[in-house]
Amino acid sequence: MAGLVPAILFTRGKKMRGSRPRMMKLSMTSSLRSKLVTALLLAPAGLFFVFLLLVPLAVVLLFSFGERAPAGGYVPAFTLQNYMDLPARGKAFFNTLTLAPLGTLLTALFAFPMAYFLAVRTSPKWRIALLILVMAPFWTSQLLRYYAWMIILGNKGLPSWLAMVGLTDVRIINTPWAVLIGAVYGYLPLMVPPIYVSLEKLDKRLLEASADLGATPTRTFLQVTLPLALPGVATGSMLVFILLMGDYILPQFLGGGKVFFIGNALVDLFLQSRNWPFGAAVSVALVAIMFVTIYFYMRFVLSKSDTRRAALV
Amino acid sequence: MNHSPSVIEFRKVTKRFGDVVAVADNDLAVKAGEFLSILGPSGCGKTTSLRMMAGFEQPSSGEVFIRGENVTGVPAYRRPVNMVFQHYALFPHLSVADNVSYGLRQRNPKPARAEIDRAVDEALAMVRLEGYGKRRSYELSGGQQQRVALARALINRPAVLLLDEPLAALDRKLRRDMQIELQNLQRDVGITFLLVTHDQEEALSMSDRVCVMREGRIVQTGSPRELYDQPVNRYVADFVGKTNFFSGPTGAEVLSIRPEQIEIAANVNALPEGLMARLPVKVLNRIFLGEHTEYVVASDKLGEFMVMAPRKSEREAGVYDIGDMIAAGWRAEAERILPNT
Amino acid sequence: MTKHPDHISAEKFLAELRRFQKGSVTRRHFLGVTGLGLATAVLSTAMPGLRPRKAYAGLSGTLNVTTWPNYFSQENYDDFTKKTGVPINVNVFGSNEEMLAKLQAGSTGWDVLVPTNYTISTYKGLDLIEPLDLKLFPSYDPAQQDPRFLGPGTIDGVTYAVPKDWGTTGFIVNTKSTTENPVSWKDFFAATQGPLSGKVTVHDYQLTTIGSAAKSLGYSFNTVDPKELAEVEKLLIATKPHLFGITSDYQPAMRNGDAAMAMCWTNDAAQLHRDLPEMSYRLGKDGGEIWVDHYAVIKGAPNRDAAYAFLDFILTPEINAKEIEAHGTPTPDARVIKLLPKDILENPILYPAADQLSVLEYGAAETLTNPARAELMARFKSA
Ligand SMILES: Nc1ncnc2c1ncn2[C@@H]1O[C@H](COP(=O)(O)OP(=O)(O)OP(=O)(O)O)[C@@H](O)[C@H]1O
Ligand SMILES: [Mg+2]
Repeated sequence: MAGLVPAILFTRGKKMRGSRPRMMKLSMTSSLRSKLVTALLLAPAGLFFVFLLLVPLAVVLLFSFGERAPAGGYVPAFTLQNYMDLPARGKAFFNTLTLAPLGTLLTALFAFPMAYFLAVRTSPKWRIALLILVMAPFWTSQLLRYYAWMIILGNKGLPSWLAMVGLTDVRIINTPWAVLIGAVYGYLPLMVPPIYVSLEKLDKRLLEASADLGATPTRTFLQVTLPLALPGVATGSMLVFILLMGDYILPQFLGGGKVFFIGNALVDLFLQSRNWPFGAAVSVALVAIMFVTIYFYMRFVLSKSDTRRAALV
Repeated sequence: MNHSPSVIEFRKVTKRFGDVVAVADNDLAVKAGEFLSILGPSGCGKTTSLRMMAGFEQPSSGEVFIRGENVTGVPAYRRPVNMVFQHYALFPHLSVADNVSYGLRQRNPKPARAEIDRAVDEALAMVRLEGYGKRRSYELSGGQQQRVALARALINRPAVLLLDEPLAALDRKLRRDMQIELQNLQRDVGITFLLVTHDQEEALSMSDRVCVMREGRIVQTGSPRELYDQPVNRYVADFVGKTNFFSGPTGAEVLSIRPEQIEIAANVNALPEGLMARLPVKVLNRIFLGEHTEYVVASDKLGEFMVMAPRKSEREAGVYDIGDMIAAGWRAEAERILPNT
Repeated sequence: MTKHPDHISAEKFLAELRRFQKGSVTRRHFLGVTGLGLATAVLSTAMPGLRPRKAYAGLSGTLNVTTWPNYFSQENYDDFTKKTGVPINVNVFGSNEEMLAKLQAGSTGWDVLVPTNYTISTYKGLDLIEPLDLKLFPSYDPAQQDPRFLGPGTIDGVTYAVPKDWGTTGFIVNTKSTTENPVSWKDFFAATQGPLSGKVTVHDYQLTTIGSAAKSLGYSFNTVDPKELAEVEKLLIATKPHLFGITSDYQPAMRNGDAAMAMCWTNDAAQLHRDLPEMSYRLGKDGGEIWVDHYAVIKGAPNRDAAYAFLDFILTPEINAKEIEAHGTPTPDARVIKLLPKDILENPILYPAADQLSVLEYGAAETLTNPARAELMARFKSA
């Protein structure tokens, strides 16, 4: 779509050039040029968007109305059967739609104090080092990390320590709890930086202004720090939520195949039973749910704090 | 209990940042209802002083009193003073009305909604921003933001309003208007204003009293007239208004003569009677300043100095050109011998 | 989509691979670590030491071999490259279904494929593999193969694939953590719902999980009968709350004691037993799966000549023996068996007694494509 913009601008510019007086022409072409430059700058992203996002999405949509070939795959057809079959994956949708938001929320709850500590309480000398430390797990293999957690949350790990303080028979690994713990751990490095950035650029004088006007430190935190860090929390949450909604590795590893996400259903449908049309219908449903959720979430966040423009001040 | 008439008071206050002594052993008493300016060059400790009054910094030694009460160590949110920040520090996520009502909403118990609304309307009216309540701070001009910051502080009726170079970010014309507005406002609300500035004109024109600082120390506190006419040393004389210095024989003292107290005439004989000094001088430079013309002249004995000729005298005696040989002189009262510090 | 990893990542890849071959990591882990789920790694081209020294005339290009991760000797592959100048590009997969899915999606550029018995007829039916020209790889001798394993690769008298290695699907029991002594799939599911509740895993794989459950009920491993499948579903769903997990990556759980019993393949069993002697591998007395992996050549393979040269090379007994020693999975080639060390041949996990094998079945092609079994598995997993 964006790829077409330069052409449209260009033809319009040509027409103008012929019919306007010289002064006008000068100003038109310079504004046209700036628009053209903008369009050209946007073109790669636009093409990327079209070919790597919209086209596949269209293909998936098309497939979702088809039928499974006898040996698996896709044969063209027009049926709504795949959508009617969606309730067969109801549990996967339920699991994903409860655990993904919950995991996002928990991650944000853990990330905020960390980001706050880094941005506000840490001397600039240490900040970078500590921030890198927060990100460090990201540089090791995700799989290795999950294997480590399989051991930590396994019977010889956390539950055995809990048993020492009298809490016997606690099962964590291969339960939704393990998936939530894994989500917090795995996605913390994605949540901390955006919150850190919004806290870091928060004008410290605003905190003094608040104190000066009689707000206790707690109230200053609630009335100034938190709302102004909201864009960071929103960005981080969005990122984590989207990734968590599509995750299949985390539930596979820490849920031991017993916590079944939409992602797992999709892997099975596309790679095991090769029921592409049904897989496509599940994907379409996932994308639709994600889209609606994000839309309302963004609306909520934007109404809560006028973040877009506040960031400009 | 100390029953001082001062609304805010420093007693032997010192503030160190590591090796830097930002404020050194200062005593200062701000009287209720006055408009006091702290004047000094950059880095002399003005902001630090203000921040110790507001409670953002605590003195390294010495004590701070507000309304006779020792508030040393009391945090900012429990001090009955308010500050107008240099860059306003308006809350970007709140509307103008919510910015202005912020202080009231922190009170315990919180005032009723209607009461807050009324106070906000009043405060906005006071700074001539009626009807701007729903806007966001970034939708206002610099001057308007300045006034919101004022309203936000004044609505709390603080014991002292602390203003840290509030006009520095405004252009010259707007600054003049705001200076007048601030003065009027102070008179209307009857709240003590403590203004920090490095602009001597601003300090002199607005304040009841001015406190001149240098490298963390208060050098002199007094009315603008006192500072101008009776500076305690060369530093104050130099900082407050323009003046000519002539070195004394020992170097420990200087002779200060204000340029407007020097008279000039076409020749020595044309100078008025009763002058204690009469010198032939040569005009080196001339700058037209509207109501004044500033001459730089040179004499064989004293070297170069500045003369301020009022428009009125020009109309009588005419204008001199660069290179003209003329005469300058002054009365005995114009001479002021000051310590060379 | 061909990625050329740089020198360092190729080395890292190899290090992971070696670890994997030693059995300290499992198939799925390997796939994740190396990011090879669906991606491709060019091994040989990335290694300067292996630049072609033209010894074989007439071969060029790259050979694409699609196989399982722990399933080849890197040394052999390097030797092939030295001999022929053709670098081998290894694609690794986690399941036959994934391989098929990729091939169905089209234009893979693969030359050699390592399919399991029950998929060959489907590949043939979809015209994805070519009938093998045995003259082009004389090192392969059908007469020397255990006849039991020759069936699946031959369709209507035409050879579409030749056997590579074979194995079984049974279960492994940690005899240190339980005194239970299950010997059949019936015992397996009874113990899971009883004394071993919460300590058992089954495969995340319809063929073996549904098949073994069917065996425990006395049905065929390959049943697609709706009534029988309904019973299997009932059994599996009743078992699910008692499972520790549904995973084909059961080695970690067995090793750290979270699981005491697991549905298990030959090669995992051999690795677990080697490190922990208390791990006891059993084949169900009531039946179960026997499998044999093959070499096949992709129809329209871009480097068909190299593909046949590769088959000839790798099936040469001395070289094939090195293969078996590297990945430890049994071979059906009598000439190779003669060359194998005693400890491999006498390992009952790798070469179980003949009577134990007699009750086992091959997976059937039908199960690969049967939607009822796929949906049953999905319902079981999401229950
Ligand atoms: N937080 C701080 N840490 C270290 N040194 C400081 C700090 N705040 C102020 N100083 C130092 O204290 C001295 C006084 O600073 P202050 O900000 O009070 O000056 P000022 O008179 O307000 O100057 P300006 O007119 O430039 O605003 C300066 O030398 C400054 O560098
Ligand atoms: Mg300052």
